[in-house]
Amino acid sequence: MRLFKTPTRILAIVGKELVSIVRRPSALISLVLGPFLIMAVFGIGYSGYRRPLATIVVLPADSGLPTDANAYKGVAGDGLEVDLVTTDEAAAMDRLNHQLVDIVVVAPPDIKTTFEAGRRSDIQARVNLTDPVQVAYAEFLARGLEAAINRQIIEQAVDQVRSFATDLGLRDPTRIPAYVIAAPTAADLDNVAPSEPTVVQYFAPAVLALILQHLAVTLIALSVVREKTSGLFELFRISPITTAELVTGKLIAYGIFAGAVACATIGLLVAGFHVPVIAQPGWIALVAALLVASSLGLGLLIAAVSDTEPQTVQLSLLVLLASVFFSGFVLAISEFSEPVRSLIYVLPVANGIRLFGDFMFRGATVVSWQLWLLAGLAVAYIGTAWLLLRREMARA
Amino acid sequence: MAADPRSIESISKPAGDAVVEIQDVSRRFEDREVLSDINLFVPRGTILGVIGPSGAGKTTMIRMLTGALAPTTGEVSVLGRRPHAYRRQDRERIGYMPQSFMLYEDLTAGENIDFVASLFGLLWRRRRRRVREVLKLVDLWDVRGRQARRLSGGMRRRLELACALVHDPELIILDEPTAGIDPLLRGSIWKELHRLRDAGRTLLVTTQHVGEADECDIVAMIVDGRIVALAPPNELRRLATNGDLLDIETSADFDGANLIGLRGVRAVTQDGARHLRVVVDDAGRSLPIVVETIRASGVEVASAREQRLSFDEIFAILVASGGELRFADDARSAESTADDRGPTSPDRTASAA
Repeated sequence: MRLFKTPTRILAIVGKELVSIVRRPSALISLVLGPFLIMAVFGIGYSGYRRPLATIVVLPADSGLPTDANAYKGVAGDGLEVDLVTTDEAAAMDRLNHQLVDIVVVAPPDIKTTFEAGRRSDIQARVNLTDPVQVAYAEFLARGLEAAINRQIIEQAVDQVRSFATDLGLRDPTRIPAYVIAAPTAADLDNVAPSEPTVVQYFAPAVLALILQHLAVTLIALSVVREKTSGLFELFRISPITTAELVTGKLIAYGIFAGAVACATIGLLVAGFHVPVIAQPGWIALVAALLVASSLGLGLLIAAVSDTEPQTVQLSLLVLLASVFFSGFVLAISEFSEPVRSLIYVLPVANGIRLFGDFMFRGATVVSWQLWLLAGLAVAYIGTAWLLLRREMARA
Repeated sequence: MAADPRSIESISKPAGDAVVEIQDVSRRFEDREVLSDINLFVPRGTILGVIGPSGAGKTTMIRMLTGALAPTTGEVSVLGRRPHAYRRQDRERIGYMPQSFMLYEDLTAGENIDFVASLFGLLWRRRRRRVREVLKLVDLWDVRGRQARRLSGGMRRRLELACALVHDPELIILDEPTAGIDPLLRGSIWKELHRLRDAGRTLLVTTQHVGEADECDIVAMIVDGRIVALAPPNELRRLATNGDLLDIETSADFDGANLIGLRGVRAVTQDGARHLRVVVDDAGRSLPIVVETIRASGVEVASAREQRLSFDEIFAILVASGGELRFADDARSAESTADDRGPTSPDRTASAA
């Protein structure tokens, strides 16, 4: 009969935790439905379309260039929207200083003469931006503008040379079109990835991983800390339950719950957002299980070092903040320097996002070491938390 | 009514079958001594009441028995084992009801008890039976499906009591089980505690209700971390007054000093010209002698009776004497205090035993 006592104790913890979860609908709403709603708003509201920069083109007074804004549409490309073409540089700069436009392009005086003199003309693109990402984008557009204008100049030059050659009686001088001479190569992008998710679909694995980690960390940490602060640990201390049984019961309970959330989330992502899932369900389940196990371990660790509920919430939010910044959710992990990049992988979500993404969109992963890393994190976090909690339970 | 020194002896010295043994235990928190020189031996099948005001050190003592705290000095043994070395089997033999509510607010009364029963390893069939039994015992059967957060304060205490009893432990440690419970239900709880005692269980119960001392087999009065009295309830009265107490009113002035020297008379306190309090060895034997002596001096006795102090009064006397004794280095000062007020030094009683 003694043999059945351990399962009885573990099942008691499992049952109690599951009942507690179900009876706290507000926690469910904030932790599960909250991220879903955010995802839905993101999906509905985000188009992936970057607003073109409002542009003023300043021409020299005697340039003879067209003053109609529509004439510059093709030259500027989609990234720039020419609102106005003017010769009043001061007025244009005033509008830029008041942030009424994003960019002022000042054309140099007499490009043709300068070109014929064998010199470069400087086209000035002026911006008033503090966001480094926007500055980089503007710089990119300026380079595009520069290339487009250069191409037009070359085309014009080729046309002039061709008519001169015709005048000289050369045979078939129009065989090669001017635009080919100006731009002899054109890049044609061919994506060999097995699927091409939309922007919203692309973020689905990150949302799934983030939901699972945040849910697992927060719920189990709060559950343990509540028991610590309410004195229930005293009941556990006098009862025959061991720390291992207590931890096992909680891991099973929250594992079941997180598994259910994972199934529901993936179902919603596939049915609602048509997110492609190429890999066998077993791979997705394996990643989810390892991610949840390591996240639960992290939550237990937070609970073991926390003395109060507010402290637990703070630490959980710090983990969430670190996850948003470092996990590849917003910024690519490859953009971080090496020591930081290595540290990032102690966050379960950093591995979860990559693995979910690979298995969903590619059907396989080339970073299978991250599966082992997740398993190692689970063992390390759970083991450390167990040792700390055992010491706390035995403290006298 | 004479004090039986053996009864005190039996609770103050290690008995062969002591369930709880506390020897020379002190506990300090940083520079504050919360318990000092505690000696306590609880024989099997008794109810030991630990009575004292709030902050006296009762809960600290209890927590040392559960293993939550270790003594700074001295030895604690529960069921033959030091609390920090409890094995699972030892824990299954102990029931504990903490002072503050520690159960799950979002579980129902029945679920909470079932959970605790599971922690103690009760398998399904027995668990189901015991949950039903204790729910009925503490009168919570009708609200078994109600969440703990929706129970009244008294119901919560009963729920915790049920949790402490559900696995039918040998030693039951109850930290203020009757706090916040109405007198009627308090009576039924004590009735159940007596039934458990009669069934061979050992109970250690703390309480602030001094009047509940009468419900216990042995009472340890604890004040400022020291046991100021340790005796069965009836003996406490004698400890407080150094014997039985007679209350005499005379119809004319009478000098109480005339009674000193009479056989069995220990002390006389004159409380007005016509009112005496006489401490005697045995009220039954001494009362007629005292009355006869007063009458023989030509003074009529208006009333004469044995005075039974309430436990509140006893407690007040013992606390006062305990406090004075701790600070009185001069033994004569302590004795004169005892002579003036009547009580025997409880520390002396405990140490003599």
